[in-house]
Amino acid sequence: MAATLMASAVGAQTSAPSGAASPPPAAGIARYSIEGTATRVAVPECVPRAGDEPAREACKTISEVLRKDLLFEEVTIVSDSLYKMLPPLKPDAPNFEDWKSVGAQVLVITKADVTAGVLNLELRLHHVASGDSMLARRLSNKADNPRYLAHQAADEILALANIRGVARSKIAFVSDRDQVKGKVAKEIYVMDYDGANPRRVTVNRSINMLPSWSPDGKAIAYISYRTGMPELFTAWIYEGRNTMFAAGKSGKVYAHSFSPDGKRMAYAFSPAAGKGSGDMDIWVANADGTQPQRLTETAASDTAPTWSPTGREIAFTRSLTIAAPQIYVMDSEGLNQRRVSTIGTWNDGPAWNPAKEFTEIAYTSRLDGGFEVAVLDLATGQTRQITQGRGNCEAPTWSPNGRHLAFCCENRGKWQIAVTDRMGRDIQILPTGPGDNKYPDWGPAATQ
Amino acid sequence: MIVQENNRWMSVVARVAACVAMAALFTGCPPKRGNAVSGPGTARPVDPGTGYGQQPSGSDVGAFPREGVGGVDMPDGDSPSPLADVNFEYDSAALTPAAMEILQRHALWFKDHPGVRANLEGHCDERGTVEYNLALGEQRSRAVYDYLTSIGVPGTRLSTVSFGKERPLVMGSGEASWAKNRRVHFAISG
Repeated sequence: MAATLMASAVGAQTSAPSGAASPPPAAGIARYSIEGTATRVAVPECVPRAGDEPAREACKTISEVLRKDLLFEEVTIVSDSLYKMLPPLKPDAPNFEDWKSVGAQVLVITKADVTAGVLNLELRLHHVASGDSMLARRLSNKADNPRYLAHQAADEILALANIRGVARSKIAFVSDRDQVKGKVAKEIYVMDYDGANPRRVTVNRSINMLPSWSPDGKAIAYISYRTGMPELFTAWIYEGRNTMFAAGKSGKVYAHSFSPDGKRMAYAFSPAAGKGSGDMDIWVANADGTQPQRLTETAASDTAPTWSPTGREIAFTRSLTIAAPQIYVMDSEGLNQRRVSTIGTWNDGPAWNPAKEFTEIAYTSRLDGGFEVAVLDLATGQTRQITQGRGNCEAPTWSPNGRHLAFCCENRGKWQIAVTDRMGRDIQILPTGPGDNKYPDWGPAATQ
Repeated sequence: MIVQENNRWMSVVARVAACVAMAALFTGCPPKRGNAVSGPGTARPVDPGTGYGQQPSGSDVGAFPREGVGGVDMPDGDSPSPLADVNFEYDSAALTPAAMEILQRHALWFKDHPGVRANLEGHCDERGTVEYNLALGEQRSRAVYDYLTSIGVPGTRLSTVSFGKERPLVMGSGEASWAKNRRVHFAISG
C-alpha cells in the first residue's frame, strides 16, 4: 500500500503509515468505497471521441473486456437491457436520475480517443445517489492493445472494492501446438489471464515444462530437456535473456518454485547418477542457483515444493513408498517436516494460496481412479473437491490475489486449461488455442 | 452497498478533488507513490501494457526475443537403441523377473562394448500428475542403474534421467499403450 496519500496539488500533503487510517480530508470531499460485490455497477458503452474511428473500435473491446473483468471478480453489473431505454449517456454530465431509475449505485463512464498511435481512456466512477466523483483517471497505452487498458480500468475499479484485481495478470503454460510429426516440441507459452494474447516463450523444440513465474512477473523459471537432461532455466521475458540455474548443473531438477520475495528458489533435485539419485530431495538456493542448501534427506521421493505466502514454510510432496504421495509442510529451513494431507491415499502437486487471508493448499488427488483438484484448508483441516467429472485434472495454480484457481484437465485426449473461483464454482475452459495445453502457472502483472 | 467513509478512500478522491481544484484534471495529477501513472511520454524500459517489451529485429517468436540457448530437434519418441527397453508394472519401479533377464543380457553387451555409455531414461504411462511421474521415472531409472551396477556394469558408464509421462513411446490410452510406455529406455552414446 502506498504510504503517502497525495493531496499535494493544493499544498495539503498528508501522510500516514502504511496500512493506517488516513486523517480526515478537507471538508466537502466525498469519499466512497465499493463494499462487497453486491453493489450494482452500471458499465455503459465506452464513448469514443466524435469521428474517431480507431477509438470507436477500441471502445467496443474496452466495454466488453471491462465488463468481463468485473464479472470475473463477481461484481454485480446492471444488465444493459435495463438502460437501453435511457436517453444517450452524456459522459461529461450524466443524468444520475436516469441511472437511479435502473437501480445502478455506481456509474462507470469510459471515454476513449486515439491520438498519434496512443489510446487514451478516461475512466470516471460516480456515486449515483449523490453524483459525487469516486474515481477519475486517464489511462494511456499503445493503440493496438485496448484489452490492456480495459484490464487496467477494471483493476482500478476493483481496488475501490478492496479487491486486488488480476485483470493484467498472465498465465504461463506448456503447449505442444508447434509440434510437427516426428519432432517433439513442448514449449512454454504465456497468455493473458482470460486466455487472450497467447505468446510463445521458448523456441528450442524440446520438452519444456513446469513454468513458474517470478513474483515480480518479469521472469519465468522452467525446466527444459534441451540438452537431454532436465535443467532449470529462467527466461527474462521482457529482456530476451535466458539464464541457467547454477545449482542444477550437477544433477537434475524436476520441480521448482520462487520464494514470495523472489530471492530464493526451492527445487527438487536428484544427482546425475549413482548414490543419492533416484529419490529426489528438496533444496533451496538463491534464485540464480548459487548457495544451494539441502532441506530434506530421506529415502523418500520429495518433490513439488511451493512456498507459503510469508516464505516461512514450504509445502511439498513426499512419497514414502511409490503410489502413495502425500502433501507435507516444513519450515523453509527444513525443520518440522509433517504431513498435512488428511484424506486420500494419493496426493501430489501442492500450490499454496498466495493470499495470506486464505490458509489453504490446492493439490491433485486420486479419487475413484481419476485425478481431481482439491483444496485443503490448513486452519480447519477440511478438504474440498474442486473438479469432478471433467476427465483427469491436475496442476492447480492460484491467481495472484488467491481468489481463483487455474489447472489443466484432460478430456477425451485433449488437455485444456480451466479457471474457477476458489470454491470451485463456475469452472470455465480458457480459449487457450490449439494443441495440448498444460501445467499453468498464474503469475502477477509485470511490475516496472 | 456503497459506503461513504471517513478515512479509507480519501487518497483517490482527494487526488481527484485536488486536480479539479487546479483545473488540471487528467493532466497534472501527481502519481501516488508506488503506483506509476501511465501516460504518453512516460518512459519505460519494458512495456507490460503491450505485454511483451521491445522486440529485437530478426526474432520470429511473436514479441518475445529469441532465447540465447539454441534448439536441437528432439525426436518424438525414443532414440534407436541396440538395447531393448525394460518395462514395469503400473505404479511400480520394481524390476520384474523378465526385466532382470533383459538386464543380464544388457550387462554382457556392455562388456562387449567398452567405452559405450548409456543414459537410462525412465518413463511412465499417462496416469497421474507430472511431478509424481517424474519421481516415478527417476526411481525406475535408478532401479535399472542399481541392478546393472550390481552385476558388474561400471556406474561411470551409466547416467539416469526421468521423463515422467512427458515422452510416451506410443500414443493412446488403455493398458496396451500404457504397458509400452512404462519403461526404461537405453540412450546410447560414445
